[in-house]
Amino acid sequence: MNSCKTPVPVDDSDGDCRWLSIHKRFLSETREKDADVIFIGDSIIQALQHTDIWNELFAPLHCLNFGIHRDKIENVLWRINNGELDHIKPKVIVLHVGTNNHKNTPEEIKEGIMEIINTIREKHPDVYIVVPTLLPRGQHPNEIRNKLLQTNDILKTNLENLRKVELISIDNGFIQPDGTISHHDMHDYLLLTNAGSKKAFEPVHELLLQLLNEGEPEKDLTPSE
Amino acid sequence: MKMVLSQRQREELNKAIADYLNSSGYTDALEAFKKEADMPGEVERKFGGLLEKKWTSVIRLQKKVMELESKLNETEKEYIEGAPTRGKRSPAEWIPRPPEKFCLTGHRAPVTRVIFHPVFSLMVSASEDATLKVWDFETGEYERTLKGHTDSIQDIAFDASGKLLVSCSADMSIKLWDFQQSYECVRTMLGHDHNVSSVAFMPAGDFVVSSSRDKTIKMWEVSTGYCVKTYSGHRDWIRMVRPSPDGGLLASCSNDQTVRIWVVSSKECRNELRAHEHVVECVAWAPDSSAAAINEAAGVDNKKGAHTGPFLASGSRDKTIRIWDVGAGVALFVLTAHDNWVRGVIFHPGGKFLISASDDKTLRVWDLRNKRCMKTLEAHKHFCTSLDFHRSHPYVISGSVDQTVKVWECR
Repeated sequence: MNSCKTPVPVDDSDGDCRWLSIHKRFLSETREKDADVIFIGDSIIQALQHTDIWNELFAPLHCLNFGIHRDKIENVLWRINNGELDHIKPKVIVLHVGTNNHKNTPEEIKEGIMEIINTIREKHPDVYIVVPTLLPRGQHPNEIRNKLLQTNDILKTNLENLRKVELISIDNGFIQPDGTISHHDMHDYLLLTNAGSKKAFEPVHELLLQLLNEGEPEKDLTPSE
Repeated sequence: MKMVLSQRQREELNKAIADYLNSSGYTDALEAFKKEADMPGEVERKFGGLLEKKWTSVIRLQKKVMELESKLNETEKEYIEGAPTRGKRSPAEWIPRPPEKFCLTGHRAPVTRVIFHPVFSLMVSASEDATLKVWDFETGEYERTLKGHTDSIQDIAFDASGKLLVSCSADMSIKLWDFQQSYECVRTMLGHDHNVSSVAFMPAGDFVVSSSRDKTIKMWEVSTGYCVKTYSGHRDWIRMVRPSPDGGLLASCSNDQTVRIWVVSSKECRNELRAHEHVVECVAWAPDSSAAAINEAAGVDNKKGAHTGPFLASGSRDKTIRIWDVGAGVALFVLTAHDNWVRGVIFHPGGKFLISASDDKTLRVWDLRNKRCMKTLEAHKHFCTSLDFHRSHPYVISGSVDQTVKVWECR
């Protein structure tokens, strides 16, 4: 049984109900804010909103950030099934999740992500879904890294021909020639620093601009002499 | 334009193309290309993604060049023509100029609205932190905080005397505040079924109008707090409502992308103004002094066949500002230059200019006669949500999602 495909809330083992509080805050944000772009997913998404490029590049696009630290695919699935995308009409949804599902096989992770994409598609038939590839993790080469790399390969072949789903590769340039990841890119060898998020998410911004401006008349950008 | 590449550049371009073919999996084309271009062996790593990079960066750089050029023009003009000194400025011509006189901090969440007091040198800011703050715009001093709402405050307004302040909130309530002595909430009015988005006093000060996400506009009697009229017709969230200067009409705008004009007395919707292509965020009635400039901009002779108004400006998420002849129910012209949602518009007291606030973080001054953006102020670090122009003193204020309020002096 693939655990990724069964929506579950996070087990509140600390007993402080933080996860549910965050989910409820997201629900109220969907009711009050009209966002064009929603970022949803795990710690990578959550950490993004504390970086310079979030303020500089993403905030002006009218974004909401529904990332929760340590979330797995099944948790994000639960959140979507419980209203986080219900009262809102975004043009683009950016989905990054799976890095915490390292107990699952690459095939299962892929299926979980497909499940989320299908769930989003049911709620928003015309939204663009942007799926950045999973980032490598750990200072030195390790099993999880390999697994995520394989997952990315499977995702590439599976998402390629889906309508209005854009897979974008963001995992290049983090592994140095000696196989290590620098703390200048990922301070804890998982979460991105300012420099790291610039490297990974600048192309995502580029893609969002294109998707958001689709259908608008093209401006003549030739510089005057 | 004829392009000539040097030998070295041509080689690089070929390698970049080869890399593109390779990374996209076009292996047959790659082999054929390598053969024809006489390029054996592997493509070096430094060409990885080069073609895509150039493809996107050209557009970005061109855009940047255009921005810099217009900035340079602006700066040159400012430098050559200069702005009048304080002593020589005139109330009909003065416009806000950078840098800001004060940057006021204190709110703990985005500022949603800023307004001037009609009499004293005070201004009030409203915020998503559910508080109102009172400031002195001449000294930049913080005066006090008004607490009572339990959710984001959306809009605020003074009556003509400045003795009463009204506020509305996402907590679905409207509150009247005594602004003479106690600075306390003297009345809370409930009746809307959703977020109250906007509020204003009728010119006589006896009634308050409010608009809401519940798609209705309501009129409230100040002395009793009763809701006396409800105006319905909008098909979605109403963003703002403003009474005309004579108090006979209401203008409202909505997520349904329309601006509507209502007859106050009969509750009838007289016009449904359509032209915006996205949510309409804000409206402002033009003062009489604007008529000449608006007519000229609309291309009609001021003597015969002139539009008689009243005139209205509206700002939208489609990034444009539109000017309407409400009397005739027609769109006159459109002002474009903002790069993001337009969140606030207000006419210059002299009538020749319009000032706007936008999510592109700027305030812009528009020369109505020439339908041209004549000045851009890089005002805030985040979305500009609101602005106000003092009716007699040379000041403009702006509020932002960056949680600050700024005071701009005019010259």
